[in-house]
Amino acid sequence: MAEDLVLDTAIRDWVLIPLSVVMVLIGILRYFVSKLMRSSNQVPDPKMVKEGQVIIRARNLRAAANYIPAKSFRARRVYFNNEENGLLYVPKGQAQNPQAQMFSDPNMAMDMMKKNLSMIIPQTLTYAWVNFFFSGFVAAKIPFPLTQRFRSMLQNGIDLSTVDVSYVSSRSWYFLNLFGLRGLFSLILGEENATDDTQRMMQMSGFGFDPTKSLGAEKDSLDIVQHEWALPKFERRAEAVLKKLVS
Amino acid sequence: MVSKTEEEQVNRLEGQVENGGGGEWEYLCLVRKLKLRRSFNVLKYGLSILNNPKKRSALGSEEWTLYEQVAIAAMDCQRLDLAKDFIKILAEKFPESKRVGRLEALLLEAMDLWEEAEKAYSSLLEDNELDPVIHKRRVAMAKAQGNISGAIEWLNKYLEIFMADHDAWRELAEIYVSLQMYKQAAFCYEELILSQPTIPLYHLAYADVLYTLGGLENLHMAKKYYASTTDLTGGKNTRALFGICLCTSAIEQLTKGRNKDDKENSQLASLSATALEKDYKQRAPNKVSLLASTLRSLKLSS
Repeated sequence: MAEDLVLDTAIRDWVLIPLSVVMVLIGILRYFVSKLMRSSNQVPDPKMVKEGQVIIRARNLRAAANYIPAKSFRARRVYFNNEENGLLYVPKGQAQNPQAQMFSDPNMAMDMMKKNLSMIIPQTLTYAWVNFFFSGFVAAKIPFPLTQRFRSMLQNGIDLSTVDVSYVSSRSWYFLNLFGLRGLFSLILGEENATDDTQRMMQMSGFGFDPTKSLGAEKDSLDIVQHEWALPKFERRAEAVLKKLVS
Repeated sequence: MVSKTEEEQVNRLEGQVENGGGGEWEYLCLVRKLKLRRSFNVLKYGLSILNNPKKRSALGSEEWTLYEQVAIAAMDCQRLDLAKDFIKILAEKFPESKRVGRLEALLLEAMDLWEEAEKAYSSLLEDNELDPVIHKRRVAMAKAQGNISGAIEWLNKYLEIFMADHDAWRELAEIYVSLQMYKQAAFCYEELILSQPTIPLYHLAYADVLYTLGGLENLHMAKKYYASTTDLTGGKNTRALFGICLCTSAIEQLTKGRNKDDKENSQLASLSATALEKDYKQRAPNKVSLLASTLRSLKLSS
């Protein structure tokens, strides 16, 4: 039943291109608005900074453990993982605190709200706009065949069940743009732009636990590390190098 | 660390500007990005741009960054009058700015008004507890006044918070070495090796400290680290080669009569001796005899 539908070029001119252009413009607008709205007082929390640094140091220790003598490595490991006052040790009771703290701290909550809003509102508005204007017709054809399962997702406005699933509605074009323009934005706006929704969403979900969980994770991985001093190997390698040099 | 291409670029631009071929703004931007300390050049070219009103307005909002950069360069070259003018201009434009506050405190430091500078830095820190630049300035001030133990104290406090700052560890290591507190220096160098294991400089410094500490175990370790330095630099580091020879002879002296691992050691030591001789023949032929006699006295050369 795969008849080839011929799509009017007017669809391309008046649907696909304007939609992409509008999304790019909205993205740029969002970037500038978020820059303006960002509170200038971004005082980093001392505890957070310290924890971040501790994690970096612990990670370095794990990565290069084989380059320092065994004694120093063990001493450092105890320093980090010591039950009482080790840097990475977090007693169970405190694990819940960061998240509760986050929501009770008005400043941080406001910041998060602002960031969330600047993400969600344009997205919602654009989605509603797309739905209102560009629904009920086939917008594009996906170049590869799909199974019937995708029908409900991709062909929302189209009420014909006989149309091939590769023909999609403009809603799916909207979603494609949403995720795909991230690369374009990082070209135009440079790194760290506010349009990085998906990344931000992933960060959001992990935020509250970030310090304590990663500390615990670092501690465990540090416990596992087996120290194998690489330096004797280096002596042999130096010999080889010198032999080549001298000969 | 500055990469090789960037270094070449800077040198090329420097040559170009010195010979009057334009490109001053790019040079200044590059120096600022790489945080190099070419204060004389920065001052000269920055002044030429700033005193020329046409060029200055062409910079637009970057003008203020240039003011900051030239002010710091002026302070470095002891042109305090110029620095004061620039800072005044900046303060007029950006009142109540932390960055300008930092510059003003820096000017107080340059004028040797230590207590005022200290007060200024403390007040700045009250606003923003975690400004690494201010912490480092405090350490620098203590060091400049000759108060080394104070410098150590501030540096330790800084490192408690910012543990991953390898420049700070390096500074601390050098201070400890200057005070002959070798065990602490060894600890700092270990931190440096951990964070950047492929830089031969840290291996070399660590080996030096271990050799200075002495003791059989430390000598063995020092030899291994000299070997790793040799490996990382492809055998070209003369100091490491000397280190290997010295360590081997010192170990031999300490273990007189006990023949442990004889085969491996002698190969490494004799190889490094030969490499040294070859190097000297190429680069300093009149010192070869001196080298030969030294090595003979260490019982290494045949």
